[in-house]
Amino acid sequence: MHSIKFNLYICITILVCINRYLIKKTMKVTVNINLGGYAFNVDEDAYDHLRQYMKSLEKEFSGESSAAEIMADIEGRIAELFKSRLTGYKQVITMKDVEEIMAILGAPEVISGSGTSDEPPPRSQRRIYRDPDGRIIGGVCAGLGAYFNWDPLIWRVIFVALVLAGGFGIALYLILWIIVPEARTTAQKLEMRGNPVTVENIKDSVKQEFETVKKNMNL
Amino acid sequence: MNTENTKAQMRKGILEYCILAVLSRNSCYAVDIINELKKAEVIVVEGTLYPLLTRQKNAGLLSYRWEESPQGPPRKYYELTEVGKIYLNELDKSWEVLVESVNQIRDKK
Repeated sequence: MHSIKFNLYICITILVCINRYLIKKTMKVTVNINLGGYAFNVDEDAYDHLRQYMKSLEKEFSGESSAAEIMADIEGRIAELFKSRLTGYKQVITMKDVEEIMAILGAPEVISGSGTSDEPPPRSQRRIYRDPDGRIIGGVCAGLGAYFNWDPLIWRVIFVALVLAGGFGIALYLILWIIVPEARTTAQKLEMRGNPVTVENIKDSVKQEFETVKKNMNL
Repeated sequence: MNTENTKAQMRKGILEYCILAVLSRNSCYAVDIINELKKAEVIVVEGTLYPLLTRQKNAGLLSYRWEESPQGPPRKYYELTEVGKIYLNELDKSWEVLVESVNQIRDKK
């Protein structure tokens, strides 16, 4: 269920990245949004930022019985703040506007107060996956390396040693190849490295992946 | 332990009381309340207020009416209900007791 959502999110983010790269910042695409019953033209990057902010706010209030009402109040306030920033000469909401508004309204952790308490940050769950990015055969050693935070080379040496010692290594490798799932989505890759799966982390990770692809293709 | 954390906890404790106190004078729209609380440095960001107002409204302490705004969507004007006034009265008393207690402890030589 999650993976479909994350996949979709990654696809959209990659498309937006490519789009942005092609436009090369000479022209910006704007998105038309409805906020509290008012239509606004928002720069694409500013829209991404705003949407992420609203999403994390929504998550912050998800425990509240009247979360929808609180969100509507905040939406109305954002609409009001946006309106006050638009003039006859300035018709599009930019990144700067969104950042200013986020500073006025505050970060989600600050709003809910959880950022000021002594609660530990969400525990990251580490799981074993096969790492398709660092693989030589099936990504088993790369995945084990990521899980234990060792150099995958150490695992490769161990497996080669097992093979040379009596052939047991091949069977073990094949079994692991079969039973260990591959880290396909960004969320799974984060889990593999023991990083918490948050929107911010996924964004960073997708950006990194995109940069690698760009480098490989000599764009 | 850091002082910022403790200060934030203290502010959080009295924030609800302060909102009711601001509304006891006249009915206000959220931004009026925020401006006053910001001036008094009990609130840091606007977003903190919205969940609190909704919670107090749901608890029957506040009621609101919609009013047209010269800019943007209509605004919610909050005011104290009868229950809210009684509640505030209680808090007023307990605040005085609290200040008294703290001073008594602090000034003890």
